[in-house]
Amino acid sequence: MTALRVFLSRLFGRGRTHAELEREIAVHLALLAADYQRRGLSPADALAAARRHFGPVTQLHETYRGQRRLAFFDAFAQDLAYALRQLRRNPGFAAAAVLTLALGIGANAAIYQVLDAVVFRSLPVRDPASLVQIQLLENGQPIHVSYPFYRELAARQQVLDGLFAVSDFPLRQAVLRGRGSFRAVKGSIVTGNYFRVLGVNARAGRVFTADDDRPAASPVIVLSDAFWNREFSRNPAALGQVLEINGLAATVIGVTPPEFFGETVGTVPDLWLPMSVQSHIMPGDYLDAPSSSWLSLLGRLRPGVSARQAEAALAPLYRSLAGLTVQRPDRDYRVQLQSASRGIAEMERRFGRPLWVLAGITGLVLLMACSNLANLMLARATARTQEIGVRLALGAGRSRIARQLLTESLVLSALGAAAALVLATAGARWLVVWASTASDWRLSLAIEWRHLAFIAATAVAATCLFALAPAWAAARLDVHAALQSIQGHSGGRFRNRLGRCLIVAQLSISLTLLAAAALLVHSLWNLRHQDFGFDAGRVLMAEVPLEFTPTMIRHNTALRQPLYDRMNAIPGVRSAAVDSFGVMDGTVYTCFLSTPERPRQPGEWARRVHVSPRYFETIGTPILAGRDITEADRADSPKVVVINQTAARALFGRANPIGRFISADKTFASKDALQVVGVAHDVRFLNPRDPFGFVLYVPLAQNPAPITAVLLRAASDPARLAPTVRAAFHDVDPAVFVGAIHPLSESVEAQLGNERLLALLSACFGALSLALTAVGVYGVIAYTVQRRTREIGIRLALGAERAAVSRLMMHDVALLSLAGTFLGAAGAIAATRALRTMLFAFAPADYSLLLAAAALLLLIAAAAGYWAARRAARLDPMNALRQQ
Amino acid sequence: MNSVPYDNSWSFLLTFYRTRSILLSMANRAEIPYGTLDLMVLKTLDTLGLQHGYGIARRIEQAAESGLELNQGTIYPALLRLEQKGWIASEWGASENNRKARFYSITRAGRKQLAAETASWSRTVAMMARLLESEP
Repeated sequence: MTALRVFLSRLFGRGRTHAELEREIAVHLALLAADYQRRGLSPADALAAARRHFGPVTQLHETYRGQRRLAFFDAFAQDLAYALRQLRRNPGFAAAAVLTLALGIGANAAIYQVLDAVVFRSLPVRDPASLVQIQLLENGQPIHVSYPFYRELAARQQVLDGLFAVSDFPLRQAVLRGRGSFRAVKGSIVTGNYFRVLGVNARAGRVFTADDDRPAASPVIVLSDAFWNREFSRNPAALGQVLEINGLAATVIGVTPPEFFGETVGTVPDLWLPMSVQSHIMPGDYLDAPSSSWLSLLGRLRPGVSARQAEAALAPLYRSLAGLTVQRPDRDYRVQLQSASRGIAEMERRFGRPLWVLAGITGLVLLMACSNLANLMLARATARTQEIGVRLALGAGRSRIARQLLTESLVLSALGAAAALVLATAGARWLVVWASTASDWRLSLAIEWRHLAFIAATAVAATCLFALAPAWAAARLDVHAALQSIQGHSGGRFRNRLGRCLIVAQLSISLTLLAAAALLVHSLWNLRHQDFGFDAGRVLMAEVPLEFTPTMIRHNTALRQPLYDRMNAIPGVRSAAVDSFGVMDGTVYTCFLSTPERPRQPGEWARRVHVSPRYFETIGTPILAGRDITEADRADSPKVVVINQTAARALFGRANPIGRFISADKTFASKDALQVVGVAHDVRFLNPRDPFGFVLYVPLAQNPAPITAVLLRAASDPARLAPTVRAAFHDVDPAVFVGAIHPLSESVEAQLGNERLLALLSACFGALSLALTAVGVYGVIAYTVQRRTREIGIRLALGAERAAVSRLMMHDVALLSLAGTFLGAAGAIAATRALRTMLFAFAPADYSLLLAAAALLLLIAAAAGYWAARRAARLDPMNALRQQ
Repeated sequence: MNSVPYDNSWSFLLTFYRTRSILLSMANRAEIPYGTLDLMVLKTLDTLGLQHGYGIARRIEQAAESGLELNQGTIYPALLRLEQKGWIASEWGASENNRKARFYSITRAGRKQLAAETASWSRTVAMMARLLESEP
């Protein structure tokens, strides 16, 4: 009890202030002096006697202060003030240290912020922990399910508190008409219980109910908060308005809360539509089609039911319902429950790996920054040897000295962490902007306490890394030597050894980073400079989003001939073509492939591309055999097809495919057989890593399909044609919605976002680490030269050659560099293994890049070392010997 | 004068003399044994009631009859310590020369502590006395 009371009264500084004690002392001295005066002393003598009798006042104040507050806090405040003074006196050092830390911590925190948003954060819904995704696995790969399957599963299951289905497939690229210029919106189609199961209420109006699922229900829309803001400036009058989405008119009934972004991380729908509108926005009745799998299922576990129990309960249920969804004879199916507390991890699948690689790289950068700072701190501690010696001699405790140095480091870390917070926020935003250039990803990046905690924890860890050893070294100082020394010899051996270890660490980290950067840059180079199978230069691409409603499909299908004619008439256009599901188009249309001799093999599928004449000429894909698709391939002429190399090789081997027949089905049927008239070069279709696969090019005239893109080969810069092309669209049909119009090369480059980001950041960090290493090596060798000045002076005086002296120093450099390189090579090989699956066209045993990186590192280290060693060779022996 | 031949016994005596003088000086002008000042202050306040720092210091010196070398300032940390422990309380008042001074008084907890310490101190003294006076 007493101890606690003392602690509290000290903590709050109860008791006396300095002034109060002074007053007490004054009264005391006056009374004591009066006493002496009564004994016959003169007033002056009495006062002097009183002072003597009272004892030293300063010391009393000191003791009193120590007792008044907790000594620890007092000492800390003192250290803090001293540290700030020290840093103000060395602004250059302070700036370098803070900047290094800010970079190191900031880079890590930025990655953490993005990782948190992509990988760690829970959905902003009620009790996210009990949400599960019910996945159907086909040979281990998750696939979508049909609506009849969902309906029966939802009705019969006993283990979930609610099960809903969702799909963004029909409305991913929807078009809003009737409110000024046409706009692209993102929609999602959900079952009526979607919001109820998630536990999300409307912030205005109402959300869907089971009633909205009835086939006769009138079409309704729930808006996202962001869309409500963008389109209606948060006007409550939006409720009740009718919006035309892909040609369907539906009434707005509610708005979701601002933090809600749906069930899939990264895709933020602008609006939600209920299942009852399905037949209006999709061609055909998908609600009664067991063969159409397009839905994802999410549910909430009943209290007390574990995911495993639920999975076990759903397995037999799946078997009894298997006929209601897609089931192919040669596949293995099973139901799996996965936690959906973080929603459907679409973004994690896409960006998880690159983010973890970045986290690894920035982690190494932080280590590098710490070891560099440790060396800086060592150098500073050495420069302050005498000061520390004096303080030790005057009776400062060694722990107190170490604590003081640690406080200085903490101040640096705190400043660095503050700067890192700013850097991290900006960096995270930049990363997300970068990642979303290729596709419309949206992430919320609000700063949360976890991010602050991460920065604080990283800063503390960094402080431990860079500050403990130098502080220990300083506290080990030998007082006598420190006071005698001029050059700072004392504590030198330990400091020197520590400095060397740090340099070896820096060299090895640097090599790891350089090797990783070299691999990633090389991989990007490979991706960019591979044969894409088309020639993107001077090609302009105009995207027409696939509006999936029956009316719009009919409408866009009819555009083929008018668009083709109009686009080819634009001046400055060498050739133009229209296509459906072509190159760099997000939508894939697939079919099977068979010949009379060879039915479809298990697992085989083909990409089906509908093209107009001049397609190959426009995009620059060489026809390797036979002919192009031409105007002669009309609807009433024999059905023809152009296949790609891979398909030709698989179907016909070495035989000539021209004139042979194939069927776009599992087994060959002569009535809808297509005659092969040409073989086209293989093409990287969707992105630069896309495997070639089988491709069928069929004439649009014989196989009508909605136009999804117009391609134009320009005579000069294609970007300048964009306004003309947009106007041409409007001429042909004012009701058609044209998306982005940009050079094809931009679409290709946009697909390389991840790779470009990794290559750029790793190269920057690699260069940074190289620079830090150079500085580090220079510092350590310069310090050695300084320490051995006398020895070198003697050598020179005794007739050693200058070259021999610098050789002596370079021997040191070589030793350190080789040690660092060997350690680093191990790290680099580990990095190579971690990155291997991400690298494009990379031979596993290819160590030439590693060797190049090592050579570069050795070169830089040698140059930096030589720069420092030159000073040794240039020493004037007389001066050197005169120095103590 | 005859020179005294070097003898080990002489140096021994000299050493002994020096040691003894140091011991004597310590005994005559005793510093306050660690921990006893608090007890003295408590006892003083218990006897005299409300007192300022000077009064306490003077009283302690008088009681020791010049057997104690007290830097009077040293009682202030002791006063703070005791107040933090809640054994004494303080208030501002007017001193005999009519200046504002802080007056201290013992609290109930302080009295209890004093009783406990007195008992323990007496036991220690009695024990030491028995130990030192007992004949071999």
